[in-house]
Amino acid sequence: MPMAERALPAPFRRAPGAAVALVVLVAIFAASSGGRFLSVGNLVSLSSQVALLLLVALPMTFVVLTEGLDLSVGALMGLAGVVAATAMLGGWGVPGALLAALGTGLVLGAVNGALIAWGGMPAFVVTLGTMGLAEGLALAVTDGEPVSGFGDAPRLAWQAMIGPVPLPVAVAAALYALLHLLLYRTPFGAHVVAVGGNREALRLAGIRGRAVHAAVYVLSASCAALAAFLLVGRTNAAHPTVALGVEFDAIVAVVLGGTSFERGQGWLFGTVLGAAAIGVLRNGLNVLAVDPSLQVVAVGLLAILALVAGNRRGGRART
Amino acid sequence: MNALPARIGALLLLALALSLATEGFATATNLLNVLRQASLLFLVASGLTLVIIGGGLDLSVAANLTLSACTAALAFKATGSVAAAVATALGCGLAVGLLNGLLVAVVRVPAFLATYGTLWIASGAAYWLMAGRVVYGFPPALRGLGTGFVLGVPTPVWIMLAVAVAGGAFLFLSAAGREVFFTGANEEAARLSGIPVRRRRILVYGLSGLMCGVAALVYLGRVNAAEAGLGDPLLLPAVAAVLIGGTSLFGGAGGLAGTLVGALILTTVTNGLNLLDVGAAWHPFVTGTIILAALGADALLARRGA
Amino acid sequence: MRRVTAALVLATMLAAPPTARAADETIAAFSKNQVDPHFEGLRIGVDQAAAALGATVRHYVPTRPNNIAEATSQLEDVVAAHPAAALFMAVDARAQLPGVQRLIASGVPVVNYNDRAGDAPFVSYVGQDDFALGKAIALHLFDHLGGRGGVVILEGVRGSTTGDDRRRGFEAAARERPGIRILASQPANFQRLPALQAMENIMQRYPRIDGVIAAADAMALGAVEALAAAGRANVPVVSINGVPEAVEAVRDGRILAIAEFNGFRIGCVAANLAIRHLRGENVPREVLLPGAIITRANMAEWLVPFAQRRCPPPIPAT
Repeated sequence: MPMAERALPAPFRRAPGAAVALVVLVAIFAASSGGRFLSVGNLVSLSSQVALLLLVALPMTFVVLTEGLDLSVGALMGLAGVVAATAMLGGWGVPGALLAALGTGLVLGAVNGALIAWGGMPAFVVTLGTMGLAEGLALAVTDGEPVSGFGDAPRLAWQAMIGPVPLPVAVAAALYALLHLLLYRTPFGAHVVAVGGNREALRLAGIRGRAVHAAVYVLSASCAALAAFLLVGRTNAAHPTVALGVEFDAIVAVVLGGTSFERGQGWLFGTVLGAAAIGVLRNGLNVLAVDPSLQVVAVGLLAILALVAGNRRGGRART
Repeated sequence: MNALPARIGALLLLALALSLATEGFATATNLLNVLRQASLLFLVASGLTLVIIGGGLDLSVAANLTLSACTAALAFKATGSVAAAVATALGCGLAVGLLNGLLVAVVRVPAFLATYGTLWIASGAAYWLMAGRVVYGFPPALRGLGTGFVLGVPTPVWIMLAVAVAGGAFLFLSAAGREVFFTGANEEAARLSGIPVRRRRILVYGLSGLMCGVAALVYLGRVNAAEAGLGDPLLLPAVAAVLIGGTSLFGGAGGLAGTLVGALILTTVTNGLNLLDVGAAWHPFVTGTIILAALGADALLARRGA
Repeated sequence: MRRVTAALVLATMLAAPPTARAADETIAAFSKNQVDPHFEGLRIGVDQAAAALGATVRHYVPTRPNNIAEATSQLEDVVAAHPAAALFMAVDARAQLPGVQRLIASGVPVVNYNDRAGDAPFVSYVGQDDFALGKAIALHLFDHLGGRGGVVILEGVRGSTTGDDRRRGFEAAARERPGIRILASQPANFQRLPALQAMENIMQRYPRIDGVIAAADAMALGAVEALAAAGRANVPVVSINGVPEAVEAVRDGRILAIAEFNGFRIGCVAANLAIRHLRGENVPREVLLPGAIITRANMAEWLVPFAQRRCPPPIPAT
């Protein structure tokens, strides 16, 4: 695992809260659930839930590394899902639907990227705007009704197993490998780190720096569109607002994992830990049937305590 | 300086278009109605504006409004005293705000996450306290804050104007207000020039929380009931009102007049969509378009000015 | 309130020890949010009926109200928790159908309650007919108006089974009364403040509104506040649900009538059927509970807080 990345001095010294939180949570839930938490069935559904979050959170790590964030991914997942389902109903087949969803992601990501990298506009505001556009389009096209009746292919994809590994987990693992290479072994990755590390350098870097800056938003949106396709399989329907709020879980996973909103410091594997911590917390609270109102408090406490414990570095959200 | 005149112009154009397109828009009662609807949004957004000018962010405002309204409602039911309800709402709002301030300025958790965490804690506390109940039925003294009129103008509109004036005076006339701008523009430089950055930061989060308490009282007066989750629909519009109003997320620039115009633009659009009987499905789309249009206009103005 | 219920329920249990109790009878009960008192009434009904038979209940409610993704995860998590039986309602029927099918396939008998969750092998369905409720309450208003006038509809969430069925009921009633005109029909998401503001805006356009139909109590109460503030408190408002707050408004003449959608009773009956199914009884495949029209004349029964209500006598086995 990426313990000795060149760009990232001694990541464990920063002790991402996620790693601590994860170990503690797993121990608590495993001890008190009478074997249910660690049952095969639960691990399959838990890992699939985490995988879906990772498809959004891994590329979000790139975005946060550039001192940005992407609030539009949740709304985009709703829109891309509706597009994919409509394409399948229109006889485009699964590959066509996948391409249509990816195309939706590419367009929205390009809009985000262009406005942020070339327009010099703040990512928070731009993606808040495109979030409204995507949510509104998805709602208006469907009149709020879920789209369904497109056959079994997406559902079978979500439930498929590759050996002992659920397909969504395999997809997330492949994406991790790909993004790991991209971030740590290519000039693109070095540029991403540089973009966040030094805004002034970015401004002077010209076209290439801006293209890299824009590309992280295209990456984020494309991965969200891919996740949308799996989500359509999970629910066997495309609901226009199904994923609203996912963007916050993804950002929390990234920052829990030790990636900083400033100074271009980050750790891709930390995001895996962060997403796992969020997934384990929510799943564990459900498996133990904790009082619903206390679950809400627990999510907030995890976010803050893990940060206080692990990420005691200075900083404000400069987005 | 922000492009306030352009924003006022956009609001007037919007109003002109709506008064041509609909019958009911350009009447005195409807304009007062829009102002009254905007007041709740403005109150929630006003403290948030100060926080953002100071270089931070407060995602907990809507959850804080919820918790303050619920605790105030419970306090009233327990004591029968309006004064107790007012004190509880303001105290609860202030406490959540100060918690944010401490987390951000002292513990140094990034603002996005600290306030996202308190969002969940405040929502969860409201769920737990209310346990699915609705607390309703308040006396005229409290209802008046939301539904009353003074000199023919709704009371919440007077509260909105008072907050806008007082907030503007704080920001632009007091030393502490100027220091908030400096802190937001360049924290390091502010610290080096002897500004108590930490105290200023706690101050703006505290004020943001206090405004949520004020908004909670207006909410109770207007709606006459408190339930968990009541503030949820206001978070994104509040952030949008600040941003449409021209306050920069990079800190150090902006103002309450802009946020007032931002809240009025958003409210006017919803009012117009209702008057035109446009389906609610289009509301997020229109809001998103307005945010991007405001951004684009700023970029154009900046380019021409440069 | 929940603690009071628990105490009451405990007393009931001690007074009448249950018979034929299986080893581990834990029932998982799903509901859509922690905000709407309708679901609180339903959860109290479930708790009371289960305790009367000596079973344990665990409630699953999304932390974000009516959040589809979270409700879907909870469904998957309950497969792992493997309760003896489950009471299920969907936040979104189509989106959660695969999840509930897998829960049933894992060997957990599931009773569908509150609103229809689609085509899965449920033990039975316990609920009310939303279309019929919508039609009945709309006709009640239209007849009150003498079959003539312009009315405003406040819808629930577009795309939700409950909201859509009720809206179709309103529209079907309007077709039967040609003198009725629907002036505006706007979704207010089952919430109070959006309903209040939508009503304020609609009033600006229509100087005369003869009646308002809201798809749920919270929206009706929001509309009542808006009408009162505008000096139009005489406009009759009707609603669906019948939570105590709204019934008080019927008592005080602020709401004309409510079609009863009784979460407490649905919870009672569903939990009772699920546990009796576990104990080998044949229970009915479908129980459609009747919904009364709550008016000033008969409202006293619904003023009783949920925690002090008593479950109805059990539905006989088949």
